[in-house]
Amino acid sequence: MKRDLLITADGIAPPSLAPQLHASPVGAALKTQATRWPRLPDWLLAWPLPLAVLAVWTLAAHFEWVAPQVLPAPEAVALTFKESLLSGELWANLQISLLRVLAGFSVGLVGGLALGVAMGLSPTFKDYVYPTFKAFAQVPVLGWLPLLMLLVGIDEALKIILISKAALVPITLNTYKGIQGVPTRYIEVARVLEFTRWQMLSKVVFPAALAPIWNGVRYGLTHAWLALVVVELLASSEGLGYMIVYGRQLFQLDVVLAAVVVVGAVGYALDKLLALAERRLLGWRKEAF
Amino acid sequence: MATTFVPKPLRGFVIPVLIVVTWWAAVRFGWSTSPLLIAPGKVWQTAVEQVASGHVFSALAASLRRDLIGFAIGAFGGLVFGAALGASRLFEKLAGPSFHTLKQISLFAWIPLLSVWFGLGDAAKVAFLSLAAFFPVVLNTFEGIRSVPADLLEVARVLKFNRVQTWAKVILPAASPSIFAGIHLGLIYAWLATLGAEYLLVSGEGIGNTMIDGREHFLMDLVLFGVIVVGLVGFSLNWIASRIEARALAWRGRSVAQF
Amino acid sequence: MSERHLTRRRALQLLTAGATGSAVGLPALAAADPAARTIRIGVAQPAIGSPPGFGGSSIAIAHAKGWFEDEFKADGIQVEWFFFKGAGPAVNEALTNNQLDFTVQGDLPAIIAKSAGLKTRLVVANGVRSNIYIGVPPDSPLKTVADLRGKRVSLFRGTNMHLPALRLLEAHGLTEKDLKILNLDTAGYLTALSTKDIDAAIGSMDILRLRDKGQVRVLYSSKNDSPIFTRQGHVLVTDRFAEANPQLVQRVVNVAVRTAKWSSDEANREEVLRLWARAGTPFEHWKEDYAGEPLRVRLNPNFDPFLVGRYKDAIEQAQRFKLSRAKFDAAPWIDTRYLQAALREQKLENFWPVYQANGKILGA
Repeated sequence: MKRDLLITADGIAPPSLAPQLHASPVGAALKTQATRWPRLPDWLLAWPLPLAVLAVWTLAAHFEWVAPQVLPAPEAVALTFKESLLSGELWANLQISLLRVLAGFSVGLVGGLALGVAMGLSPTFKDYVYPTFKAFAQVPVLGWLPLLMLLVGIDEALKIILISKAALVPITLNTYKGIQGVPTRYIEVARVLEFTRWQMLSKVVFPAALAPIWNGVRYGLTHAWLALVVVELLASSEGLGYMIVYGRQLFQLDVVLAAVVVVGAVGYALDKLLALAERRLLGWRKEAF
Repeated sequence: MATTFVPKPLRGFVIPVLIVVTWWAAVRFGWSTSPLLIAPGKVWQTAVEQVASGHVFSALAASLRRDLIGFAIGAFGGLVFGAALGASRLFEKLAGPSFHTLKQISLFAWIPLLSVWFGLGDAAKVAFLSLAAFFPVVLNTFEGIRSVPADLLEVARVLKFNRVQTWAKVILPAASPSIFAGIHLGLIYAWLATLGAEYLLVSGEGIGNTMIDGREHFLMDLVLFGVIVVGLVGFSLNWIASRIEARALAWRGRSVAQF
Repeated sequence: MSERHLTRRRALQLLTAGATGSAVGLPALAAADPAARTIRIGVAQPAIGSPPGFGGSSIAIAHAKGWFEDEFKADGIQVEWFFFKGAGPAVNEALTNNQLDFTVQGDLPAIIAKSAGLKTRLVVANGVRSNIYIGVPPDSPLKTVADLRGKRVSLFRGTNMHLPALRLLEAHGLTEKDLKILNLDTAGYLTALSTKDIDAAIGSMDILRLRDKGQVRVLYSSKNDSPIFTRQGHVLVTDRFAEANPQLVQRVVNVAVRTAKWSSDEANREEVLRLWARAGTPFEHWKEDYAGEPLRVRLNPNFDPFLVGRYKDAIEQAQRFKLSRAKFDAAPWIDTRYLQAALREQKLENFWPVYQANGKILGA
């Protein structure tokens, strides 16, 4: 049940809230409290809050407690959403954003894994590269934006580079630390069993490091999506961020809200996809505990 | 060959030195005619100018002030909300799903909304920064509280601790590494958000604005200087956070297997 | 016993004191304008230069010369200026939050705000007939506006650049969808042009700056075309402020008209252009942009039939191009009472040319 929270100076993998948390001791200790309330299924309990918010929102919009420019009515947002969905505009922009994030993330993933593995396995390489990498990682993704704009302009290259940088840093760090953090006892056992170097890597090191590496990958994807939204807000002619800017410039907050909803939905989907993949890849690990 | 050539402590400097030398050579020997290629010396000059005129300090002060205020609000709110999520099953069921859904909305997508809801002035920026710090703090606080091992709670029960004592003596200390990790992460996000806010919201002074101005006027030296300053600030914030974390968690001793 | 008497007497004393106090104080309160100790003016341009300022209109001159501050100094009323790099749309955000009283904006953003429900009224015309320019990289194969089809073109959306651009495109058989439009502000599109990140930029006369450096070729200028393709602007005031402080609004308009008169005087041409040049756009470019026209054509605070016609068109087109949500009647929106009063008082009713809706000068 213990999650490997890797704290590095520049990238911490946020823990996924796996179901075992609900089975945790504190959770169990709190169960006594829960039984005082009527037994409602979990999924039902999830709704009162958002429904209440929706109700307040609808009332606020209808009675104009806040100016309609500031808070468009939910129906307006839903209508805009439907319109842009039907006109294909939403899908077109979504596609472009997704493609960009996929491209950038892949570059960052490959680079991050390569760099992390190299640093983890070769102390010499690490000595040369790690300090520079650390310095480079101190500047958050957005700090590089004006510099990159000068160097590569505002075209696709800018977006891909920024997104890959966003993904690369946490993946590299977590991979490196993951490999480093393989307990020495495992290595000793492998040595006793006279594993070849390849066997040691494939049977001991990588499986042991897989959990932190995976955390790094998840964090990298979140960061990549974040970077995409920013760069599209600043300089793009298509994509979800562009839709948001468009809505903002024309003071059409319902367009902005519709696009924000989609951004959230995509973020959610990406996260769920990775969680699914994690369960498959690391499922064996959990059973051992 | 190179491994035995360069002594260990100096190895970290090889790459940076190579970069600077190549850069200097590129300028000196005119390998590129791009107006963007300026000498390292010019960057140093600009740095000196900025420090001497105090520009960099006032810009930094403006950025950091917003950063820290937003961070404080977000972290505090995050602690409260995260603790509530951890403490009450019911609250978690009511508010948890909504929270997890909202957290999926990429941070910067909030900016246009905040801009319209708060208008000009620092309110929008501080709100944005609080949001940036809020999410990681909540997540890690919640996780930390829920991950408290069963044995510790057993002990509390055996010693017949009441609610408050259980919390103060067992749950919070056990959760503290996670909570501090969350605060640390919140700090990182808040700094990232500070820069983003300067690019995207109407603003006064700030180090992000300095870089944007540099970019608009093609002043590569100013932009590079800004990048270095941002990196230094990031490093310092991380270092301070790590120190505080180490201090606060010092009582735990050197634990090995568990956090 | 005696205590109670004392208390009662004391109470009566206090009551009388209070009554007299309020009798004296309240009229004083009523006479003064309770709301306004500051007048907040938002300008849809960034403030550049030292001292920071902006250009292109008579309000810019008033700002540079501090004439608004002078007018209200005696009453202890402060004038606060706010500048917005994000231009009209950003001003709208502040307006929505009641953070501004007056704005110096272009037609489209104000129309969008009004149709979204913001309660404002126009009081003075300002910065009318500004030209739009289209710039392309010097080696670009594009020769005419029609060549823009399918190209990456930057346009500062939601500003008063948007409608003339769309009209121009329409006149050449193009719609917004036929181009790949990027939303970039002035600094953004100037940079993008020089790095050739875009194929063309539809912008303001700032493009001339790059032309002089050889980094841009001017594909089109509305200077040589119909005034329908020019940008219009105004000063507006929130209904809230106007209802609470009508005298202050009148005084603001008075200053605006006075400044417009001074700026329209050909004898002051040099100084006007130089003051504007302080904000970054070179003097020569202002000279070029204003060449061949008397100042008073563009520094005209009046809502003459031509301008009213332009605004009516803009409202209708904004709705047609799906930029705004609803149409509304231009006539009640343009509140000319303050303007008329100022003109009458300063005897300037016939100072400026009056253009008819078809663009021809009255009497031509």
